[in-house]
Amino acid sequence: MGQYSSTHCGGGPKHRHRTPLTNHQYIISNNSDFFSLINSDDDESTVPSVFENRDYTDDLPDECLALIFQCLSSGDRKKCSLVCRRWLLVEGQSRHRLALNAKVEILPHVPAIFSRFDSVTKLALRCDRKSVSLNDEALTLISLRCSSLIRLKLRGCRDVTDVGMAAFARNCKSLKKFSCGSCMFGAKGMNALLDNCSSLEELSVKRLRGINDGFAADPIGPGAAASSLKSICLKELYNGQCFAPLIIGSKNLKTLKLLRCLGDWDRLFETIGSSENHVAEIHLERLQVSDAGLNAISNCPKLEILHLVKTPECTDAGVVAVARKCKLLRKLHIDGWRTNRIGDDGLVAIAENSSNLKELVLIGLNPTSTSLLAIASNCQKLERLALCGSDTIGDPEVSCIATKCMALKKLCIKGCEVTDEGIESFAWGCPNLVKIKVKKCKHVTGDVADWLRARRRSLAVNLDGGEVDIEPVDGSASEGGALEEAAEFQHTATTLPVIRAADIPSTSNVGRSSAAKPWFGLFGGRGLVACTLRRWSNGNGDSSESL
Amino acid sequence: MITLQSSDKDVFEIEQSILIQSGTIKNMVEDDFTFIPLPSVDTETLIKIIEYMKKHADKTDSKEKNIKEFDKDFMKKTLNELFALVFAANYLHISSLLELLYPSIADRIKDKITEAIRQIFSIRCDFTPEEERRIIMDNKWAHEGTEIEGTLD
Repeated sequence: MGQYSSTHCGGGPKHRHRTPLTNHQYIISNNSDFFSLINSDDDESTVPSVFENRDYTDDLPDECLALIFQCLSSGDRKKCSLVCRRWLLVEGQSRHRLALNAKVEILPHVPAIFSRFDSVTKLALRCDRKSVSLNDEALTLISLRCSSLIRLKLRGCRDVTDVGMAAFARNCKSLKKFSCGSCMFGAKGMNALLDNCSSLEELSVKRLRGINDGFAADPIGPGAAASSLKSICLKELYNGQCFAPLIIGSKNLKTLKLLRCLGDWDRLFETIGSSENHVAEIHLERLQVSDAGLNAISNCPKLEILHLVKTPECTDAGVVAVARKCKLLRKLHIDGWRTNRIGDDGLVAIAENSSNLKELVLIGLNPTSTSLLAIASNCQKLERLALCGSDTIGDPEVSCIATKCMALKKLCIKGCEVTDEGIESFAWGCPNLVKIKVKKCKHVTGDVADWLRARRRSLAVNLDGGEVDIEPVDGSASEGGALEEAAEFQHTATTLPVIRAADIPSTSNVGRSSAAKPWFGLFGGRGLVACTLRRWSNGNGDSSESL
Repeated sequence: MITLQSSDKDVFEIEQSILIQSGTIKNMVEDDFTFIPLPSVDTETLIKIIEYMKKHADKTDSKEKNIKEFDKDFMKKTLNELFALVFAANYLHISSLLELLYPSIADRIKDKITEAIRQIFSIRCDFTPEEERRIIMDNKWAHEGTEIEGTLD
């Protein structure tokens, strides 16, 4: 097995147990007596009094020592593992989370590693791009050692194939969360996972290369996990559509996130919306979905959270449909990508219908005071508001927010035409305001921040001086929805919308060839870029392109 | 009123309402014991335990800030004292006190090298050089830092 053998006595914190590999012998006794210490070393032949010049942790029950280790980082735990044999043992046995460098060279070390860390329930296997990753044999061996695994995360494990995944799935049937990124296995491996791990609750798949062969990839799902799955997240997949049977078959699905996946997704939502569902959270980002899809989404009566990020085929009509039928909506993020397809009409419908709205993030939209006034007046529970990259939001609109948003706690204004005067209105407006953040608004000076702080001491004011920087290209959007991160603001757009020629707005920065780079660059290859651009401009997935 | 007796045979009379924060004492009280000997808790430690329980017995809103201040000061003790408290709190099943003690002891381990940790806790290294090398090698497979840990959730 390894040199770290252990003998376990059962029992709770009242008992101590020890390995035979120690220098001292102890009488294991009930906690109601003092521990008697008989030292077998020649140096210390007298019974020492407890806690004097000796290992402080000696008499501490293993569970207590383990709980101390739990307060430490992975790096600190490694130092602890080298302190002495007992610490090594306790540290290893109390490790429930482990992250390993998943290179191919790990195979011979797997038995020793998992003898030492024998209680791992959450495992991450991560391989960098330059190295050869662990293979099927290693993954199988790991799965045999960690059969009670609850969470697994694979990153860059390019040498794991369908065979390895199937073996893993058969051995780790209690898995609840699975996440993979930049792996190469395919539908067979994914289906094996879904057929064996019948308690799977969360599935996250990013860039799975093995499902890219041609346009007719094998369907994935539903599998035994369909009834337990609560959350599915798909990112940057060519053939994400092959997950459709799984998504549709997961009748208890609550969260669905589709980010930068090719294909036309309207039909999927039409199917979901056509039967009873429990979907409460939908994130759509850089996805081909239109008002037809939004119409279908409006048939998710339990919808509470909706993110529409850079979906240029969605217009006011779709937003109105969702607003009218999804009465439980409490968080809405819309990034209109400055295409001006969503504006006052959609937002007025939100104002009129979403009385439960607590969080609203509007990026790259141009609402006027009409809709802002409506929202400020009607959404009386609104606590968090972010307005970014808008040409139409200025002092009157901001003052209106100050006057009417009674419940507002946090406000972020970025890249808008507000001036100091608009910000001043927060000295007396929004009685519940706790934090205000103003960034990249060229007419707002640092003076107003001090002025505001002086008048309202409990308000946290975060203001940058008004310089306009070009934000670095960030291909990934926030998923957690932290207010600050949601503002993926492009003032001078270095990432450009990829849209049909007819829809190119009058902003001057739209071009074609550089547009695809940030996103499609992730897929790699210029041929891909050209194909995909054509695909987008044809409207629907022209599947005769082979990618 | 309940009487507690330390290992040094000192006795303390405390209200039941304060002492039931200790799961162990609570059980004994429910079994109608009014005199509880604690042979594994010395007087010095018992005094501290009682001090802690008294402060935490009255958990009204207005006192929350005071309690937090008290807890912070309470942890400013020698390692010797902290361990004695861990033993006592563990035996007496006072989970709130343990939840304070573990991070406080962990703070003494944070960011230190292995040898420093050994010195602080007066632990003798019982590895052979070969074993140490082996562990260091195994450790290399596990990621440093929290960025992986954090994203496991």
